[in-house]
Amino acid sequence: MPRPAGALLALPLLLAGCFAPSGEQAADGGQRLALALAFPPVAALSPFSDDAALLTRMGVGETLVGLDEAGQPVPLLAESWSRVDDRTVTLDLRGDVQFHDGTPLDAEAVVGALTAAAAAAPAPRSIDGLGLTARAVDEDTVEVRVAEPDPLLVHRLAAPGLVVLATSAYADPAAPDPVGAGTGPFELTELRGASGATLTADADHWAGAPELAGVDVTFPADAAARTAGLRAGELDVAVNLPIAQLSTLTDTEVLSVPLPRLVSLSLDTADGPFADPGLRAAAVAAIDPQPVVEAVYEGRADVAEGLFDDDTAGGLDRPAVTLPPAADPAGTSIRLATYSDRPELPEAAAVLAEQLRQAGFTVEVVVAEYATLETDLLAGTYDAVLASRLYLGDTGDPVGYLAADLTCEGSYNLARLCDPAMDAVVAEAATLADPEERRAAALRIEAQVLSTGAVVPVLHERTHTGYAPTVSGLAVDRFDRLLLGTGTTVEE
Amino acid sequence: MTAAGRVRQVAPARPRHTPGRLRSGLLRPALTGLGAVAGTGLLVGALPWLSGDDPARTVLRAREVEREPDPAALDALREQLDLPADPVRGTVAWLGRAVTGDLGTSWVSGQPVAEVVPPALAVSATLSGTAAAVAVVLAVLFAWPAVRRAADGRADGGGAAGVLAAALAALPEFVLAVLGVAVVAVGWGLLPTSGFTGPEHLVLPVLALALPAGGLLGRVLAGAVREAAGEAWVRTWRAAGVSRAAVQGAVARRALTVVVPQVLLLLVGLLGAGAVIEAVFDVPGLGRVALAAALAQDLPVVQAAVALLVLLGLAAGGAGVLLHRALLGPAGTDGGLSPELPPPAPGAGRWAAGLLAVLLLVVLVGVLRDPAAQDLGDRLAAPSWAHPLGADALGRDVLARFAAGALPSVGLALLISAVVLVVGVAAGLVGRERAGLADVLNALPAVVVGIAVAAVAGPSLAGAAVAVSLVAWIPLAVHTRTLAAEVRASGFHLAARTSGAGRWHLVRHHLLPVVLPPVGRHALLRVPHTALALAGLSFLGLGAGAESPEWGRSLADGVVYLERAPWLVAVPAAGLVLLGVVAGLVRTGR
Repeated sequence: MPRPAGALLALPLLLAGCFAPSGEQAADGGQRLALALAFPPVAALSPFSDDAALLTRMGVGETLVGLDEAGQPVPLLAESWSRVDDRTVTLDLRGDVQFHDGTPLDAEAVVGALTAAAAAAPAPRSIDGLGLTARAVDEDTVEVRVAEPDPLLVHRLAAPGLVVLATSAYADPAAPDPVGAGTGPFELTELRGASGATLTADADHWAGAPELAGVDVTFPADAAARTAGLRAGELDVAVNLPIAQLSTLTDTEVLSVPLPRLVSLSLDTADGPFADPGLRAAAVAAIDPQPVVEAVYEGRADVAEGLFDDDTAGGLDRPAVTLPPAADPAGTSIRLATYSDRPELPEAAAVLAEQLRQAGFTVEVVVAEYATLETDLLAGTYDAVLASRLYLGDTGDPVGYLAADLTCEGSYNLARLCDPAMDAVVAEAATLADPEERRAAALRIEAQVLSTGAVVPVLHERTHTGYAPTVSGLAVDRFDRLLLGTGTTVEE
Repeated sequence: MTAAGRVRQVAPARPRHTPGRLRSGLLRPALTGLGAVAGTGLLVGALPWLSGDDPARTVLRAREVEREPDPAALDALREQLDLPADPVRGTVAWLGRAVTGDLGTSWVSGQPVAEVVPPALAVSATLSGTAAAVAVVLAVLFAWPAVRRAADGRADGGGAAGVLAAALAALPEFVLAVLGVAVVAVGWGLLPTSGFTGPEHLVLPVLALALPAGGLLGRVLAGAVREAAGEAWVRTWRAAGVSRAAVQGAVARRALTVVVPQVLLLLVGLLGAGAVIEAVFDVPGLGRVALAAALAQDLPVVQAAVALLVLLGLAAGGAGVLLHRALLGPAGTDGGLSPELPPPAPGAGRWAAGLLAVLLLVVLVGVLRDPAAQDLGDRLAAPSWAHPLGADALGRDVLARFAAGALPSVGLALLISAVVLVVGVAAGLVGRERAGLADVLNALPAVVVGIAVAAVAGPSLAGAAVAVSLVAWIPLAVHTRTLAAEVRASGFHLAARTSGAGRWHLVRHHLLPVVLPPVGRHALLRVPHTALALAGLSFLGLGAGAESPEWGRSLADGVVYLERAPWLVAVPAAGLVLLGVVAGLVRTGR
């Protein structure tokens, strides 16, 4: 081989040989579970980012309180709590909790964690701008206080962004490092960038020793990669599977959990053709969610009656919706945008566009990645936006969603709806303390919104988690925060 | 001494460098590198201003997808990030720090960039380096029948290998990747589906990248072999009774000189552009890092990634030039080579016409049908009398969409190929033989080019065409440059020059006739690839509309249903392969 050509072939070989670090093999026996989560950590698992939900799903970090099915707080790291006044609450901490680094969970550690969260820029969404302060009353009692009266103060402490980590994790208070610093059933022993994490069971966990010896986590962002890993037997559990591939999973079980997530078509009420309520009514009349649910979502979603699903309505009556008389579209041209990040949305948009065409609209469909669309979506560049939105936020409460999405000052108002009367009822609902009254108010506002035709509800999504038949004890959580627990097992 | 070495003695070698040129030869690359890093750094630094998206908002969204961009949170973030007031000041400050080795911290994750980008680059280098090496091996295998015939003094044949290579060159990488996972990893359980912790994880991604690249390089190499076979020394050697193996080796080596710079282009191009393949196999490479950071406008990460890629691109470009010279040996100086007018490519015109007729017939049958009519009851319906080629996820007729998509896919791709052929040949003839703009553009991640183009040209089909053209001319320019360097080193060129021929005369009568046929064939081979690339930027909103039946778009939409409805992928892929084979068979000789 001539030398230059040899050098050419050697060049790639010199470059080769760099792989991602692999996890260290656990020496001790016991069952390990291979888990694929949907997104790689964006901030090295700092809880002040979306990674917070990864921490709670993996069973590494825990919050002071949890949320039950109805969205009401339940004890977690705090055993009980009591309201001091409308701005203050005291929480009694569980006595037998240790962080994975061996230090005890005491009032001081909790105060440090909450103070770091409140000082983060920006603070976690559930407490941002509330002026939250925390103070140790005694060794296992914490007092939490906010600047303005707040009926949801305890709910807010359930947000994954407020997981409590050991003091050692806050060396950089802006980006806490959860390695070896959580309280959950599993200790995060190693994080390998975006490629994986190793968890080891914490035998001293307050709820008892976990059944599993450990968990090997990967973060394949591509949904098809998660499905393939499950089918090839490399994974025991994979979350967030695409509906299009569920039917290829023949040897695995699928756990489908309805989420408080609404897919809806928002019509631009500020300008363009849908500023005309008559045309909005025509669009509402044209849209039939049933074929979208049956074909595109293959029956694995629920037709949306309103903005909120029946679990959120909690058996309360939905007030009647009255739309203005529909106008004749007569070929009106509209642009309908959606994003490809959620795989079913582009197909759903094509079906809805066809329904609008049948009703007499001329429709152009625009699809791109959410990141490239967001500015235009919020600026009203498109006449209609098909979007998927969580409406119970971090607190399990629907009023925050109504304020952000449907009021004049709302920062995510895709319909660009601005009605002072609506703003007033939303503001009033936010002051209600009784959960049932809040839900009833939310349903009244829902009817009011639907009567404007600004938002056309299409369906409520479910999340699909695939697991090998040998796996049992996965948590079912409609807030999509919990997955692994002490009872999770995988048989031989 | 190898056989080819003996050719060198045809002309006396002349020192190529005077001491003065040597000094500037060291200074110039340094200045080029600095200029390229500063220029691309400024381009990246200007992305927020070009796109009009507030970096505070994009960074917040990258950290917390579902969070509403409320003004207080954005202000807090802006203060924390200390965003630059304008792109120039931001880039200058970044350059100042980068020169001292401080790459800063990521705006999204807060981690030091030096801990994020270099490891990802190492992973990507492993992947693309192995893919490039495998592609070279494949190329040599595909071209070997031509080498054997050349050593026998023939320039014909090699048809089967050529057709196979052209078909592979037309296959989309992501389809091969998904197919590999479904068949080899899931079906047979032979290899892991994803991850990147050991050599077993290399096989599938490398095959997905190397099969199309190897097919393309194989065709280019076979063309070069045929041209080398026509050179006078081959006849001399054969007449002198040099062994067949020696002639084969010399012909192969002579032909490789043309392909080497192409391989280096491929190697660098794959480093920052492998986002799709990296995502399919969950490989933590630079392509994904650059893509996520560019979408989040995480400027420190994008700037560092682009700076490293551009420097690598320039280094590889320079290495390509040096390797080309070294492979030519002293023959690469005035009068040392004798490239001749290539013989006409083997006559496969009838085959090409036949395949084209089949393609046209299918399209003609299909255009009579409605490509937009939905029937959700026929979702993913298998081929039947009602839908001869099946139906897609919305029950639309695949045959009708194939036909309706033919013109926008093939027509635009052909148009772009013609434009980049002209640009590439012109740039290759004018440009000196050294690393430059082409290597910089080639190294840039496609997403950076795409965002910049989308910002300037708006999200449209024209924008996609511009973004694709911006990089499509490069391999052709480098090919032209390589061939032109050989012509300029030839006796007939020297003779014409010394007898006072004008510049245009030299180009018209000596350069173009030698350069155009192989570069033209190369451009044709890339037509399917161009058709795919047009759909590759649709995630940025660039390209044909969301409901367009364009082939690239149909493939991307259908690949998720590969196992449930293989016809969604097979039909457009077959269209591209047929197109590739036809393009590979077309006669470009005289």
